[in-house]
Amino acid sequence: MEDLIEELTRGNVAEVKVVLATVIVALAVYQLVLAAVSYGKLRPRFLESGPATWAHRASGDMVLVLAVLVAIACVGYYGFDEGGAHAVFGCLVLAALAAKVLAVRVGGSSSPLLPWIGAALFVLFTATWLTSAGDFLGVG
Amino acid sequence: MPPSQGKQILGSLLVALAIAAVAVAVVTAHFGPTSSAELEAREERREAAEERREERGG
Repeated sequence: MEDLIEELTRGNVAEVKVVLATVIVALAVYQLVLAAVSYGKLRPRFLESGPATWAHRASGDMVLVLAVLVAIACVGYYGFDEGGAHAVFGCLVLAALAAKVLAVRVGGSSSPLLPWIGAALFVLFTATWLTSAGDFLGVG
Repeated sequence: MPPSQGKQILGSLLVALAIAAVAVAVVTAHFGPTSSAELEAREERREAAEERREERGG
């Protein structure tokens, strides 16, 4: 597994992980904006609630795929041994993602849990980023 | 009057792609060159400059 990850990233495992994690956090901020439009908290003239909801789901799918890829690279290459807070936040992110998908499947898109899980997911994504990529970039 | 729903969705997704592209560009610029070819070329330039300095000094 380590060799495969090293080969795919051409030896730049940490750098690729930092780039992907930063894309995830940037898209997570955008997700917040789209969710606010979707719930009618923001009402820009150029974007209605329906299309915002649709775009929120589509870019959420992108974030989900990227998060799973980063998690596989992280656990497969570095393992849990020296993860510390980053490993804990990372596991909580995956749990929150699973909870969000489950809430949509069970309660539908109008589930009252969704905004809370979404907000928790954003906080967890940010905390996970700050404890690894942020450190790497000198931000965290 | 807002644009059609299709245009709104397309625009929203293009914004998401633009955000991803900008994030990649900013972080990659922060790292600088990482490909082995670029790093080797940089090392060669550094060594050549050092040699020239030594020649001038000697």
